[in-house]
Amino acid sequence: MASTLTPPVPTRRPKDDTALALAFILPALLGFVAFLLWPTLRGIYLSFTSYNLLTPPKWVGLANYQRMFVDPIFWNAVKVTLEYVIINIALQTVVALLIAVLMDRLTKSTLVRGLVLTPYLVSNVVVAMVFLWILDAQLGIGNQFLAWLGVDPIGFFTEEKWVIPTIALVNVWRHMGYTALLIFAGLQTIPQTAYEAAKVDGASEWKTFWRITLPLLRPILALVLIMTVIGSFQVFDTVAVTTAGGPVNSSRVLQHYIYTMAFGRFQFGYASALSVALLVLLMVITVIQYRLTRAGETDLN
Amino acid sequence: MNNRFARAAMAAATAFGLVLTGCSSSSGDDATQSSSSNVIDYWLWDSAQQPGYQKCADAFAQQNPGLTVNITQIGWDDYWTKLTAGFIADEAPDVFTNHLSKYAQFVDLGVLLPLDDLGPTSGITSSDYQEGLGDLWVGQDGKRYGAPKDWDTIAYFYDAKVTEKAGITKAQLDSMTWNPDDGGTFEDVIAHLTVDTKGVRGDEPGFDKNHVAVYGLASDGSGGENFGQTQWGAYTATLGWTATDKNPWGTHFNLDDANFQKAIDWYYGLAQKGYMPKYSTFGKSSGSYAQFAAGKAALAMNGSWMISSFASLEDVDLEIAPTPVGPSGDRSSPFNGLADSITKFTDNADGSAKWVAYMASDACQNVIGESGVVFPARPAGTARSVAVRKEAGIDVTPFTVHITDGTTKLLNVVNNAADLAALTGPEFDAIYIGSKKASDLTELNGQINKLFEYASK
Amino acid sequence: MSTTTVTDEFEPEAVDSYESELLASARTGKKFSWGKAVAWLVMGVILLITLFPFYWILRTALSTNPSLIANPTQFTPPDASLDSFRRVFGTQTGEAALAAGGSGQKIDFWKYLLNSVVVATLVTAGQVFFSAMAAYAFSRLKWKGRDFFYGLFLAGLMVPLIFTFLPNFVLIKQLGLLDNLLGIALPTMMMSPFAVFFLRQFFSNIPMELEEAALLDGSSKIRNFFTLILPMSSAPIATLGILTYIGAWNDYFWPLMVSYTDTSRVLTVGLAIFRSQTPQTGPDWAGLMAATLVAALPMLVLFALFAKRIVNSIGFSGIK
Repeated sequence: MASTLTPPVPTRRPKDDTALALAFILPALLGFVAFLLWPTLRGIYLSFTSYNLLTPPKWVGLANYQRMFVDPIFWNAVKVTLEYVIINIALQTVVALLIAVLMDRLTKSTLVRGLVLTPYLVSNVVVAMVFLWILDAQLGIGNQFLAWLGVDPIGFFTEEKWVIPTIALVNVWRHMGYTALLIFAGLQTIPQTAYEAAKVDGASEWKTFWRITLPLLRPILALVLIMTVIGSFQVFDTVAVTTAGGPVNSSRVLQHYIYTMAFGRFQFGYASALSVALLVLLMVITVIQYRLTRAGETDLN
Repeated sequence: MNNRFARAAMAAATAFGLVLTGCSSSSGDDATQSSSSNVIDYWLWDSAQQPGYQKCADAFAQQNPGLTVNITQIGWDDYWTKLTAGFIADEAPDVFTNHLSKYAQFVDLGVLLPLDDLGPTSGITSSDYQEGLGDLWVGQDGKRYGAPKDWDTIAYFYDAKVTEKAGITKAQLDSMTWNPDDGGTFEDVIAHLTVDTKGVRGDEPGFDKNHVAVYGLASDGSGGENFGQTQWGAYTATLGWTATDKNPWGTHFNLDDANFQKAIDWYYGLAQKGYMPKYSTFGKSSGSYAQFAAGKAALAMNGSWMISSFASLEDVDLEIAPTPVGPSGDRSSPFNGLADSITKFTDNADGSAKWVAYMASDACQNVIGESGVVFPARPAGTARSVAVRKEAGIDVTPFTVHITDGTTKLLNVVNNAADLAALTGPEFDAIYIGSKKASDLTELNGQINKLFEYASK
Repeated sequence: MSTTTVTDEFEPEAVDSYESELLASARTGKKFSWGKAVAWLVMGVILLITLFPFYWILRTALSTNPSLIANPTQFTPPDASLDSFRRVFGTQTGEAALAAGGSGQKIDFWKYLLNSVVVATLVTAGQVFFSAMAAYAFSRLKWKGRDFFYGLFLAGLMVPLIFTFLPNFVLIKQLGLLDNLLGIALPTMMMSPFAVFFLRQFFSNIPMELEEAALLDGSSKIRNFFTLILPMSSAPIATLGILTYIGAWNDYFWPLMVSYTDTSRVLTVGLAIFRSQTPQTGPDWAGLMAATLVAALPMLVLFALFAKRIVNSIGFSGIK
């Protein structure tokens, strides 16, 4: 952090900016408290109650959490969500990294950079509907392509083993350009001298990537990962539009289970407990990621 | 420090809130159109029916000076969420189209007004409507929460060009029989209508059940969420089987019945034989309508609400066949209907009741019948609707025959419908896919019965 | 990082694409290489995968609904027609729209467009400015509780939607802002954890010496924020702005809940009538795809206008 380097210049004021800082964060803090913090605290409170949304909540202690621990659909949802996140993040990061490096080393064309971002301009829901149409097992063009290649039709959204990979891929399509641009921006911060040095040493592009690009990119990549992992855990729209959690429970991700529990079944107390579980899961994963990436931080300077 | 800060923040938040409310108070109360008590807010989800109800609303406004109806259409997916949010924030419509799978929950939550307590709707009696429809909307407390507006039954749609080419006559299709052992003549018909990619029919030697070009019967998901309404409900009912001990408000389930499980095995077994698509072939997104329209299926079982959609298909010589005669000696069809309910958030209960009563009357239902989308709940409206279809060249007798013969089977109305569907939906999916057997329903049935016992305590 | 390279980064126009293309070709050399050919091929495949769904959207939009179901995999539009676009702009009569498989709803396209512009502008301007203020406090000011509040804000990223949705709806109702554009914008107008996070990373990187020098010249920290920090960060702010704008533009669920009439209906909600209408009949595919294209078009234009600035300088330079 820049502020840890104590500047040599003495100032007239004391070094404590508390009053000014509070003024600066006040509008954001208001929004934060009103629209994020208060609802969250209320949600945590409701997770200890039985609440159907319309009659006053009844305190039930840990009953919702006890139920959660023996709820096979909850544990299945955790498993399915993790499966989704792993496939989604792994693929998205690799593809985005590839695109970013290609954009950096191959072409600086603004047009290319603009084109890769276009999927992000279409909303989640519409992207899901477009792919539902393209990947329909019988009526979609996707399976027509496979047929031309001599492959039997795949039930992208209808076979238990395919739904989660398919949904993960659909979201990779929407976010890969966006992620690539963030990584690309990080690539811009790598000093040219580093590449030139590698060239003088006669390193190939491949070696340069592993020895120079990736280590120097690590801090930015880590931040991109933290952001995308958090986003990935919140997957909902794509599932709701394409499979509604099925077949059986093979795509019943946490957010979808929570949503149907709250709005379909009016069990808001239990839905809140499930949400707290998701929140805790995310925090643990984020802290671990943060620790890991900080430990592995490298900097040429 | 933190404390002082927190207090400062609270004060600022309050001030900010006051500023905002202050700014908007002049217009705030009129921000939403529902606030004026002379305007009845009415919500529905089916856009195809909106023109018909708009006509009713116009006529209603003319007869009731000072009252107007404002119709809002919201797609099914968002309809219930927006309605729920409206209940919580006191922004719900005055009147809305209600569904049997939802209304018990709303009665439990206490958000509906009993129609018997309101003057204009107190006179609504079940006997004015097609048999049984009215009783479904009477809650466990004996009060009416919905005024019946329409009904639907199930039949098969087919293209006469396709069946004639296969040598199957209309007479054959009109007189199909069914049993859970060999599927009766119904299975013979769909076997013959099934054609593999080499042109071999399902009942001919050499038929390749793994490469089917046209299925004899379209699929429509597993039907676990809705008692097999457009899947297996028409067959299982002819066994004399009912899902619950009584209807409405059953509390004991019969999914463990051996005959029922046999019929379920038979139904999903059609997919193993190649006469019906496997679960993975179409999934949930392309239902029987899409399969039929794409020429992938010969018979499409679907509801009467889909008549106009099927009729609009080009190059199809559309005909309709009734469900088969089963072991009971009769046909059967799931029978369902929508109704209009009044929310307790209405600011004009009397006006809302007038509008509901109007929609439930012959005056409006005849208009709805003429618009040709659904069958109105009143006999006169039904007759009008049948006549309109006949003029358009579509014989809808296969749907109405259940009314005239008394072979309708009311869809089950239970408490905790959403909790029930969350259990049965995935289970029937699994049976369709083949990862579970129909006999596994016995265990599920025990769970469900326990759930209902627990809930009724 | 030295001061000179950092200031280079902050001049968006300095990294002109022509210049960087020259740099790139100088770096990689102009001679043909197999590696480069393969790289171009990979790039081509990626672009093809990116763009094919858009072709499919266009092809579907130019078709009629019955023909789509009858010819699901035909490569060109079966039964080409512009009717779906007429439905989107609301110039087709209700009866004709119904007959074509549409909803027959009245569509006040230009009103929705205007509403979308107002909401997205409110959200973007408010969120970016207020988040920048907070980011300044978190990166450049010294105060007790800074890490605590920053951590709290970051944790806000992880809050599940289900927690915030109903309380916020009730709050907006109590503020009398239902069916009001301000009510749609307000929850995201004051801040977003991501924006604070994004800008803080950037502000942290501006050398402290610059600000100290300005302070010695008699400037105040407030003035520094407006005259030094904000202008120096115009590139990342533009980037964040456009990402926020796209997000606000595409938001569907929240505006759907808050708006009740055309006065506050935004484009995504107005055009959602092309999605499922009843549980049983399929959506108006042609209309939906036409609506998708039309709704994305303003974003494409905006992007074309700002593309160079954004993609040249997304502001993560040198996060530490």
